[in-house]
Amino acid sequence: MSTIVLETSSASIRRDFWRGVWRVMKRKPSRMVGVVILLAFAFMGIFGPLFYPEHLPRDVSNTYGPMTWAHPFGTDGQGKDVFAQVVTGSRYVLLSALVTAVITVVLGAAIGLFSGFKRGRWDTVLMRLTDMKLTIPGLPLLLVLTTVWQFGSAVEMGLVLGLLGWGSVARAVRAQTLSLRERGFIEAARGLGLSTTHIVGKELLPSMAPYIAMNMLIAVTGAVYAQVGLFFLGVLPYEADNWGVMLNLAVFGGGAMTTPSALPYLLAPLLAILLLTLGIVLVVDAMDEIFNPRLREE
Amino acid sequence: MTVVVRKLAGHLARGLVMIFVVASISFFIIRNIPGDPMLAAYEKFVASGMDPAAATQQVKVIYGFQPEGSVWSQYLDYLAGLATLDLGQTVLNPGVAVTTDLFEAAKWTVIPVLTGTLLSFLVGVTMGVYAAIKRSGKLGDILNISGSLLHGVPQYVMALLLAAIFATTLQVLPLDGVADILVEPGFNGPYIASLAQHATLPVLTYCLASYGGWTLAMKSSVVTVLGDDFILAAELRGMKRSIVFRYIARNAILPLFTILALSLGLLFAGAVFIEKIFNYPGLGLKLIDAVTNRDYSLMGGAFLLITVAIVVANIFADLLYTVIDPRVRAGKEGA
Amino acid sequence: MSKQAPGVRIDGLTVTYNNLPAVRQVSLELAAGTITGIVGESGSGKSTLALSLLNAVQPPGRIAGGSVEIDGLGDVVALRGEDLRKARGAKIGYVFQAAQNSLNPLKTVGKQLLDLGRSHGVDDLRGLVRDAKELLGRMGLDGNRVLDSHQHELSGGMRQRVGIMLALVLNAHLVVLDEPTTALDMITQANILKIIREVHEERGLTTMVITHDIGVVAEVADRLAVMYGGRLVEQGPTREVLASPQHPYTRGLIRAIPRLTGDIDEARALPGRPPTLATVPAEGCVFRERCPLRMEVCDTVDPETQSIGGRLVACHAVKVKEHA
Repeated sequence: MSTIVLETSSASIRRDFWRGVWRVMKRKPSRMVGVVILLAFAFMGIFGPLFYPEHLPRDVSNTYGPMTWAHPFGTDGQGKDVFAQVVTGSRYVLLSALVTAVITVVLGAAIGLFSGFKRGRWDTVLMRLTDMKLTIPGLPLLLVLTTVWQFGSAVEMGLVLGLLGWGSVARAVRAQTLSLRERGFIEAARGLGLSTTHIVGKELLPSMAPYIAMNMLIAVTGAVYAQVGLFFLGVLPYEADNWGVMLNLAVFGGGAMTTPSALPYLLAPLLAILLLTLGIVLVVDAMDEIFNPRLREE
Repeated sequence: MTVVVRKLAGHLARGLVMIFVVASISFFIIRNIPGDPMLAAYEKFVASGMDPAAATQQVKVIYGFQPEGSVWSQYLDYLAGLATLDLGQTVLNPGVAVTTDLFEAAKWTVIPVLTGTLLSFLVGVTMGVYAAIKRSGKLGDILNISGSLLHGVPQYVMALLLAAIFATTLQVLPLDGVADILVEPGFNGPYIASLAQHATLPVLTYCLASYGGWTLAMKSSVVTVLGDDFILAAELRGMKRSIVFRYIARNAILPLFTILALSLGLLFAGAVFIEKIFNYPGLGLKLIDAVTNRDYSLMGGAFLLITVAIVVANIFADLLYTVIDPRVRAGKEGA
Repeated sequence: MSKQAPGVRIDGLTVTYNNLPAVRQVSLELAAGTITGIVGESGSGKSTLALSLLNAVQPPGRIAGGSVEIDGLGDVVALRGEDLRKARGAKIGYVFQAAQNSLNPLKTVGKQLLDLGRSHGVDDLRGLVRDAKELLGRMGLDGNRVLDSHQHELSGGMRQRVGIMLALVLNAHLVVLDEPTTALDMITQANILKIIREVHEERGLTTMVITHDIGVVAEVADRLAVMYGGRLVEQGPTREVLASPQHPYTRGLIRAIPRLTGDIDEARALPGRPPTLATVPAEGCVFRERCPLRMEVCDTVDPETQSIGGRLVACHAVKVKEHA
């Protein structure tokens, strides 16, 4: 994910960069695990649904079945395989999270850069707006929005979450821009007669890319939590298989809170979320070290 | 003190703007809901034999503005109602004002959230100090990793796991509201015990959800302060360990008060999940019930009240900061 | 009064950071009642030496060998726990660089003074406050106002005087000042140096001043010790060392000072850079890379410290000259 934003003009810098990445990865094997987890989730989201028929087979004689080799996480109230639902449900979750992350980062970085670059009145207005956005409670706002918007597709869901979530990225990018400005970065580039587009595109963005990439990963986690949570609360129509829908059915439909036999159905999506969180935490930790020179030198 | 007053005024102004914005969002959402609920309600009243004028009046009582008229006159009507704390009536609980209903519910959110936050603040901050002091040892690693994981896990996952363990599997803690319905409410032992028992899981969830954040924040804050010159200076002046420790703790805890505001805000918002899972009749549950049952005035009110709670928490935390940090008090921020 | 001033004997002191020596085999005597100036560039080990006097070298640094004998305290290197804590502040005062924030930003100076008193079991806290006000007044400050102030309300020069007050208020008679005038403007510098000199005389102290500024030493110190790469390369009475420096490094330092009178070209900076912990040579003379008198023997043999007319110098070239 990070490679997209990390493109630099010089090939040698890129080579050095990858060598640095490799070194950091090798030092703590847990980080490798993080990358593997994220790759596995990406694979699951892209190809997973292809392994299963569009409508998973039901087996009314085996509802809330126990964990077996055939059904690693048992079956649900209709006898459908739980593991298969986690896999097929991942596409919606991950696709919308990706959309959210892209929108969050693009909007957040644009507003943050603009604000930090222009300073003055624009900055004040934009930051007041950002503050306000950060204060309005996101989840309650989403709940209220569900009454007028049904978030039909994964892309739509991602769009809404992205439009609501750019505040913290904008703040972070602005702070970073200001600090670069303070170090004379921008003035120096101006002195060399470089255009604003060049300064922003070729100088500022690359130096902030790691920062932005990390924020993007964090935005992915936030998006996953939010949309799974919305489906879990049952305020959205069940369009497709989705981890949140599974949680909702397990807790409020299947009585996983009262019958221990339905527990695997509840635990499977929870485990998927935890694993995804773990992967992202580990990768962010690695990125932190790659891009934070202070930590690197030790 | 003038700084405090000036800050307070600024906060209040900003808070009022926030409330205005949120109220406007509610209004325009309610106003633009497909199917026009106001008109539907009006027609229902007329169909049930009410005369049109009374039906119009009834709709106004419920939604806070007339079913007819231009958007702007409705908007002004709604805001005027808001200014007198009139948010209309809830449909779910006929005849009851939204404000009454919500204030009743608020205590089931505020008390557990505050209890959970304070507990986790105390524990988390203490653990953060240990994590900082023992940061190169095993204990530091354990505290750090557990803090990161707890910090990363979403609240509802935590709540569901706790429910699965303590309610479903072990069956030691209940999930059914604020108290056992068979116990006579009032100031008596069994009722209070039942209240406490029912509050355990929600409070524990709030605690665990914010514990990790406190530990991590306090740890990095203590590490920063430990590197400050005045700590070495105090040691070289032969200050007692307990006094040096107090110097460290007080300086390190200071930046955490800004996080306190954010965290309270997040918890109020997160109350939605926790109250839904534990059937706890607070503001969050009201909001979901309102959304699922399309009780629009209640929905707008709950959304507004949660925002107000966050604004108030922000103001409180900032004032606290001002009182504690002499640099801010003197109006020289970041000196 | 000066009877109370303790003498200090540092003998063969070695301090290492991760096994790299920051101070190596330093022997130095602070005669009771004198002011000794330690001069060196940053990284010369002078601050580490100063902290060693309080046995307060910060980890990962540690005192690997040698002793610091202080009259009335014994060897502070051997002091531990409460004994060490009580010696700091009460017996040895330490004054931080003015630019460093040596005060708790959240408490007033007065409250920190009381913390100090309580830490050292002072019963008469009123008396302590009175002494503090007297000291502050002596240094030209309004005691009441200063005790009521937070750090951010004080100027650099005022902070420095507060630092001196806190170092002396418990009646410590050995005082270590770390870069006492750095980051102060010229007039305040002169003021602080005057105060140091006067307070030293009045209270009968043994004083050690750490500085990179040879001018400061010339102003206040009776004796002067020059550090380079963790070694003491030359020491002796200030006036003599300044008048006829023996070690090539001392000569270079003195030559590097621009004078008000005379040609600016005469002030010549030392070529090269001081070594860091990692680059300081493990054997041979530490200064040889920058030395104009470098010989073959300098690469392998550490020059021994020898006495030359009331002066201690560690240099092969000086020895050769003496023999010749």
